[in-house]
Amino acid sequence: MRAGSPSSGSIAENFNPFSPTALQPARGIIYEPLYYYNLMSSGDPKPMLATGYSWNADGTKLTVTTRQGVKWSDGKPFSAADVAFTFNMIAKTASINTNGLAATAAVKDDHTVVLSFKKTSFVSGPSVLGDTAIVPEHLWKDKNPATDINRNPVGTGAYSVATFTPQSYELKRNPGYWQQGKPQIDKVRYISLASADAATSALLAGEVDWMSAYFPGFDGLMKGKKELSYVNTPALTTSLFACSSAKLGCKGPQTDVAVRQAIYAALDRDQLNKLAFSNVANPGSPTLLIPGRDDKWISPSVEAKTPQGADTGKAESVLTKGGWSKGPDGIYVKDGQRLSLTIQVVTGWSDFISAIDAMTQQLRKAGMEIKSSQMSWNEWNSRELKGTYQLSLNSIGLGPSTDPYYTYEGKYSSKNTAPAGQNASSNPARYANPAVDAAIAAAAQTNDEAAKLQQYAVIQDNIARDLPYIPMVIGSTLTEFNNSRATGWPTQDNLYSFPASWKAWDNGVVLQNLTPVK
Amino acid sequence: MRYYLRKLAFYTVALWAALTLNFLLPRMMPGDPVDLMISKLAAKGPVSAETRRSLELLLGTKSDQPLVSQYVDYLGNLAHGDFGISVTFFPQTVSTTIAQTLPWTIALMGIATLISFAIGILLGQLAGWKRGSWLDNLIPVTTMFQAVPYFWLALVLLYLLSSVTQVFPTSGGYDVYNVTPGFNLPFLRSAAYYGTLPALTIVISSIAGWMLGMRNMMVATLSEDYIVTAEAKGLKPRRIMTTYAARNAVLPSLAGFATTLGFVVSGSIITEQVFSYPGIGMTLMSAVQNNDYALMQGVFLVITISVLGANLLVDLLYALIDPRTRARA
Repeated sequence: MRAGSPSSGSIAENFNPFSPTALQPARGIIYEPLYYYNLMSSGDPKPMLATGYSWNADGTKLTVTTRQGVKWSDGKPFSAADVAFTFNMIAKTASINTNGLAATAAVKDDHTVVLSFKKTSFVSGPSVLGDTAIVPEHLWKDKNPATDINRNPVGTGAYSVATFTPQSYELKRNPGYWQQGKPQIDKVRYISLASADAATSALLAGEVDWMSAYFPGFDGLMKGKKELSYVNTPALTTSLFACSSAKLGCKGPQTDVAVRQAIYAALDRDQLNKLAFSNVANPGSPTLLIPGRDDKWISPSVEAKTPQGADTGKAESVLTKGGWSKGPDGIYVKDGQRLSLTIQVVTGWSDFISAIDAMTQQLRKAGMEIKSSQMSWNEWNSRELKGTYQLSLNSIGLGPSTDPYYTYEGKYSSKNTAPAGQNASSNPARYANPAVDAAIAAAAQTNDEAAKLQQYAVIQDNIARDLPYIPMVIGSTLTEFNNSRATGWPTQDNLYSFPASWKAWDNGVVLQNLTPVK
Repeated sequence: MRYYLRKLAFYTVALWAALTLNFLLPRMMPGDPVDLMISKLAAKGPVSAETRRSLELLLGTKSDQPLVSQYVDYLGNLAHGDFGISVTFFPQTVSTTIAQTLPWTIALMGIATLISFAIGILLGQLAGWKRGSWLDNLIPVTTMFQAVPYFWLALVLLYLLSSVTQVFPTSGGYDVYNVTPGFNLPFLRSAAYYGTLPALTIVISSIAGWMLGMRNMMVATLSEDYIVTAEAKGLKPRRIMTTYAARNAVLPSLAGFATTLGFVVSGSIITEQVFSYPGIGMTLMSAVQNNDYALMQGVFLVITISVLGANLLVDLLYALIDPRTRARA
């Protein structure tokens, strides 16, 4: 079986699951977490290397029961000591501690480990349980976990590395894998696909069985090939990021909340989906959650979904109420400032660029002028972080679980922003609202869903009004499969995992589920 | 001797200037590697404020260090042949990355340039010898191929020969499924097969320059007195063409060829992009996209040295071949 991996020509060997440049199989296929969180459903996590966990009442101690009978791929038994070692190593090594975990772990018995946190840490649960690769103590105690590239990795996962070259590498089945009868595919080869064009032609030529890429006209191109199928899993909300806080140094009309609300109302999202996104995007939500999957988290006091058609009348009345008046050229003006906005986008992101073209027409009807500015990824990204932009077309990323906390804490907490001119860590909109900050802090203190819901409702009321991120649609994530060598891929009706070939942890679950075609 | 010393001194200054530019240019680009890595990680999963600190520690970026001391460190490391660690391919060193990709580029571009030069000179020589023959009509055709933007020509050929007729593979450097890299026949055969189409596009698009130049020099040389003398002596036409006319006519082309060799490395960026060829052009592209200063500097250095080296070689050789170019000492 062959999987495509996006890369830039050559592949650098790196199977260290703690390295930011680790190869995809390191996280999920070779090394496994304690639990698996399926981002496609809001159900409970699936036990992997652990069979149970429990928090103490104030969220400072997490007791994990590890699975028995699991072996490392070198034959040595896996135990709670390995889990404790992994977490202690992360806490000790600042350069791999990307989640800021300060947990110290102690082994209680052979299959019980207790993690102690300094403060209430319910929200660290998903990253501890579902986003941390467990490594063997007997091999890692002498390694430098930050820079070792971990040749010939030994993990608990379904596969281990067979051969490696800078152009492609091969994984082979782990015969002692703890899940009986899995995996059934003997060998998996990863190849490097340098560009979307190369990926497309490799897929159509039957050279690759699993890859995630959007290419224009994919539906028509794949229709002729019976063995090919695809799954669309919209999960990333495409939004207009607005540099929203004049207090933190943002400049431009978008710092006025009336303007953001007017844009929100004036967008014709049906048309955008048709013209720019090949009709494979889904409606988003002003709460930045995913309608359907996240319904239980969306407060009844806000709209669950974004409006689909344009409401120009509403947009104009919002602007008028906000003190804007129409100028002679049909564009609104306030205090001598024309309502003219620049949206920055990355050169070559063709779907985003055509979305902006369509949006320009739509917003023009509501008296707003849009200019688009295309630039390199580097510059686009650096302007966003520095707050030297007006609007930016971007997507909201994934969290470690479906709990909205991770989106809200990252995107709206004033802790994660900085004045314009300095780098903001994850809140480029420069949104700072004490009520939201307080609700985020309160949600972190509890493990009770009802109590969290209350806090999320406060956040949602605020962000649906302030709209520092103006949701457009939930962008598609297309994953393509070739069913002639293996079957059992996730389908639209059976999304047992997030199917993208680049998604850590999910990739292991997909491979375990495949059966070879005879 | 003074001539050579002066040349060497000049090239040393040129090298220093290139190295300094090489140091400054990447640092004027927006963004820094840590931000870039964070944003890429954020697209795949959660990123917290601690991520920045952990990456800064990991990559060892000392962005607050003054530029002058960075420059001194840079020159010192270069002297040791230490180009640093690549961010894109972290924790691989830049030297390893270049060592992996440079051979692909040199083999592909080097062979293609040689073939193009050899065919172009041969055809140009014949066309100049037999003016007005059908070979003269070939020149406008080849010039047309040179005039067409290279990436367009490459894309059209890729579409026709790989996608439609499937004579050649669409991308890559060799058949990754069935052969293992190394000095074995199946691998070399596969690499040659995968390299044919990219090489073909380079030859087609560059042959016109050699051919036209050689033809015109040939025409000029043929009107020289010594050719008339040779003809009067009753030498065979073939001998006149090769040893009397072509030998002198090829001089300017030879100089041009040596300079072209210097650009072999840098000229491969588009070719490798179109054919997804695993060479140094692709590496440079990804280095630029990832603000990977160390890798960019490494690649630029290779380019600089190859261009300067080729020029120096021509300068020195030319003084031998053609004494007129030597400065009056």
